[in-house]
Amino acid sequence: MIDVKNLIKDFMLNKKQRKEMGDKYKDTKILRAVDDISFECQPGRIFGLLGPNGAGKTTTLRMIATMLKPTAGSINVAGYDSVTSGQDVRSQIGFMTGQTALYDRLTPNEMAKYIADLHGMDNAIFNKRKEHIFNILDMNSFADRRIARLSTGMKQKTSIARTIIHDPQVMVFDEPTSGLDVMTSRAIVDLIRSCKEEGKTVIFSTHRMGEVNQLCDDIAIIYKGKLFYNSSFDQFKSEMTKPTFEEEFIYRVGEK
Amino acid sequence: MKFLVIAKKEMIDITRDKRTLFMMIAFPLLLMPVMIGSMLKITSSQAKKASLKELRVAFIGEEFAPNLYNAFSNLDKLIILDQIPIDSVQSYIQSEYLDAAININPSYQSNLNNNSQAKISIYYKGTDSFGTAKERIQMVLNQFEKNIIKLRLNKLNLKPDVVNAYNIEFNDVASKQERFGKLAGGWLPYVFILFGFMGAMYPALDLGAGEKERGTLETILSSPASRLDIVLGKFIIIMSAAFLTAFLALGGILIGIQQISEIPSDLLILINEIFTIKTIALIMTLVLPVSAFFSAALLGLSIYAKSFKEAQSIVTPLNIVIIFPAVIGTLPGIELNAITSLIPILNVSLASKDIIAGVMNPVYMTEVYLSLFGFAALSLYWCVRSFNKESTIFRN
Repeated sequence: MIDVKNLIKDFMLNKKQRKEMGDKYKDTKILRAVDDISFECQPGRIFGLLGPNGAGKTTTLRMIATMLKPTAGSINVAGYDSVTSGQDVRSQIGFMTGQTALYDRLTPNEMAKYIADLHGMDNAIFNKRKEHIFNILDMNSFADRRIARLSTGMKQKTSIARTIIHDPQVMVFDEPTSGLDVMTSRAIVDLIRSCKEEGKTVIFSTHRMGEVNQLCDDIAIIYKGKLFYNSSFDQFKSEMTKPTFEEEFIYRVGEK
Repeated sequence: MKFLVIAKKEMIDITRDKRTLFMMIAFPLLLMPVMIGSMLKITSSQAKKASLKELRVAFIGEEFAPNLYNAFSNLDKLIILDQIPIDSVQSYIQSEYLDAAININPSYQSNLNNNSQAKISIYYKGTDSFGTAKERIQMVLNQFEKNIIKLRLNKLNLKPDVVNAYNIEFNDVASKQERFGKLAGGWLPYVFILFGFMGAMYPALDLGAGEKERGTLETILSSPASRLDIVLGKFIIIMSAAFLTAFLALGGILIGIQQISEIPSDLLILINEIFTIKTIALIMTLVLPVSAFFSAALLGLSIYAKSFKEAQSIVTPLNIVIIFPAVIGTLPGIELNAITSLIPILNVSLASKDIIAGVMNPVYMTEVYLSLFGFAALSLYWCVRSFNKESTIFRN
């Protein structure tokens, strides 16, 4: 479970950044990327964090994964506080972004072993888990080939394997399908679904409304760092006043 | 102990990279011997060529000094050209038609007879790299002058000591090792400092900025490894690469020297006497903290950069910063003292010079180690801080 309460994240702006961001930020040294947001993600449910680019989705997910420290508020992941028990939180998390995030000079086997070792996995458990994942994803034929020489699809499978090798209870996906073709996107969508079936807590950010419709049980809409909506997706659909998700989204955030 | 997991992975990763391997092993091991060997070979072959060259010399005023003329015309590999007018001599030498010209003053013989000085003008081109023409002419003239002085002293019934009032004996108490150390000891650290830096550079760029570029930084940041684990794991490997490269550069020089036939055998014996395992080990104890200093600093800069390319443009100018103190260390007169022993890089250069010369001051050496380990610790602390700074790690 993920419990986010009154989360705030400020970034200090330097002179150059203030200049680049225009007149609005001329007199302020602080950019509030996440502004007092709260939500809860439950195990066995998929939570969609929706919003356009720059809304604060990645910052929120990075705070959940303890890569960034909140300015204020709290995040509890699987019973651990993200600030005081960062290492425990990270041991419960599988983190995936749109990039495959692999080491070209390693093989899929070595990549999986590296992540497993970082999570302190026992060798026997690792071997069993690896065999299971590699079989499901049909990775055995290229398990000992250097990642640089793999096709995009093979790389994506390797990326999935390294994300779930340590059997995390909480899965964080940061726009995992951005820039991917239909086939590889589908593999990610299948992964998200199987995580739900296994009872994991899943949070994923996206701006693709099609994926939201396909996957989400609960959603939160954030825009310019603020939370505009948070409820179940069924509830959202029942409250819709516009014909499409896109239009409803724009209507909700007040950018008509 | 997660840093060991990271170090192990980084080691596999960089040893599979051909560019790193080339820079780390092949470059220092092969380049140094090839460079030293070719430099010596080219120099000695040019010198040989110059000494075998047939010189074309104009002799003006043959009638005033027939003996001298005969002496020159009997010389091997020297052709005397007559009938060259004195006013054309300079342009002929400029255009390299002539190598030199000797102009005898008409009063040559009468001046000699009067026990006064006979004037001889020599024209030559000073840019002739080995100065062969001037040297060979001077040799003949010196011999003639000696004979004339001898005759003059005999006539006056005087001993040669009359014109040699002092019998000076120079006694250099510096050992051969010391002289060699002070002379050649300066450029050796210059080489391994530079190689150490280059050895750290590529792995540091790859393990810092490269990690950002691949998107793998988030993978390790979201793992249970702490930031300290991540820095230490990477740092150990970069430092090992720097140390190994510097060691191989030193080894490359020593192996290369053995293969070069142009080096006089007594110098070779001296070099082998100086570079014992103990001396090399002592030098390596200086290389270790300096490698640590470079590695942490480069990793810190690399993780600050948004991309591999940006990291390269930040780090490359540092080559000059590294070379500068190393070059100062090669200058004569710059010695290890209470102040210079605290300046990193310069102190490595000067301390190595003293180690090679076999004259180490324990107080200054202690200062050198304290300074080097201190700077290494500071740069590692700064590097860990950079990894903990959100604005650095997520600068993009």
